[in-house]
Amino acid sequence: MATVERTARPRAWAIVAAQELRDLWLGGRGLLLSLAFSGLLSVLSYLVATNQALNFLEQRESVNLTLQVAIAVGALLALLAGADAISGERERGSLESLLLSPVSRLQLTAGKLLAALSLWVAALVLTIPYVWFLGRGVGIVGDALATGALVGTLLALFLVSLGVLVSIFSGSNRVSLSVSLFVLLALFAPTQFPTSAQQGWAGDLFLRANPLTSGEHYVGKIVVDGHSWSQDASWLASPIIAAALFAALAAVAGGRFMRLSGEVSR
Amino acid sequence: MMRRRLLVSASAVFFGLVPAGPAASSSNQIAVSVDRTAIATSLGHKFSIRSRIANTGGSAATALVAHLNVLSLRPDVYLDPEDWSSHRTRYLPAIPAGGSVTITWRMQAVNAGSIAVFIAVLPQSGDPRPPATGPTVHVSIARRKTLNSGGILPLALGIPALLATLSMGLRMRRRASH
Repeated sequence: MATVERTARPRAWAIVAAQELRDLWLGGRGLLLSLAFSGLLSVLSYLVATNQALNFLEQRESVNLTLQVAIAVGALLALLAGADAISGERERGSLESLLLSPVSRLQLTAGKLLAALSLWVAALVLTIPYVWFLGRGVGIVGDALATGALVGTLLALFLVSLGVLVSIFSGSNRVSLSVSLFVLLALFAPTQFPTSAQQGWAGDLFLRANPLTSGEHYVGKIVVDGHSWSQDASWLASPIIAAALFAALAAVAGGRFMRLSGEVSR
Repeated sequence: MMRRRLLVSASAVFFGLVPAGPAASSSNQIAVSVDRTAIATSLGHKFSIRSRIANTGGSAATALVAHLNVLSLRPDVYLDPEDWSSHRTRYLPAIPAGGSVTITWRMQAVNAGSIAVFIAVLPQSGDPRPPATGPTVHVSIARRKTLNSGGILPLALGIPALLATLSMGLRMRRRASH
């Protein structure tokens, strides 16, 4: 009996993930989002390669710009999928049947989280030819893609978990998407700060504490400045902590607080 | 005093800095030196200059400001120093008699051509005395083609077209199955 339970448990989240992946990709939503993503990267790459002003950028900076946009938008796509995960089911009236299925809520959350992450994986795959084109000849394609995969996966996991977490407690999809996007914009706001505000110990601490700014800073150090992977590894602390913490929070919240109504408890 | 001047010059040589010329030995007893006076680089590249501001006087020098100046040596090149460095003004700590402060100026080559860079140090009080300046650093910036744009169009159009085809194929398949 124990053996049966051990083999059955991992399959439940895999079944949920497979079903979600089918809905996302065969339903056409994943492809449409990927099409929009590739359109954005195409316009950016074309401008970087041909526009006189943008072409001024050093080749490494062109790769960095493209990679950072890919990470940010890829993670945004994953966030959108995460924010729709539970509240979307709730709004479509399909959450009840999901909750009644013989799958624990923790595994349900895990399956949905993994399926939402597939949007980031697709975005990363689509980014490869653009980075290759822009970075060929300066020997940074491998490093750029590997750094982008590492940082992007950490940020995508963080944002998907955040989206799922918000989705668990949101009564409607609109609330879930609005809150998630607001948090994302707030996290991106420091990138628009003037240079002077990003200097000094306070500015440095602020940039390091924010997973998005510290992750993108790390990518820039590897791709533009040619630093080794270990030289600025401390900048990865915040993305790693955020990814682990929010994944754990989403798992706990999914297991304990997932309700039909979207309210925490009565 | 002479011994102190010799000491400052000797330490400047020790640190690999180029001592300031006659223009730099101003009356305010501040000497500015730089680690090199000629730089050759390419458009878009980043480079840095290390400067040493030494107090050759007998008393501590306080409330000084160091400023990085960037200008084109050719009249046909317009240059905006703000583009070259976002941190061109530094407010210096007090420099004790015989002491010095080292500042690294990070810049990016924004224009191709023949560019001059120098550092001026002046008092925060705004006293009408000539600032102490370091030697001119001559920066030669070569033009550079940053990216071969050939081939971007097939890629930029091909990938979205491929995804659009897949998406349409999927939609037709769904319609056929219904």
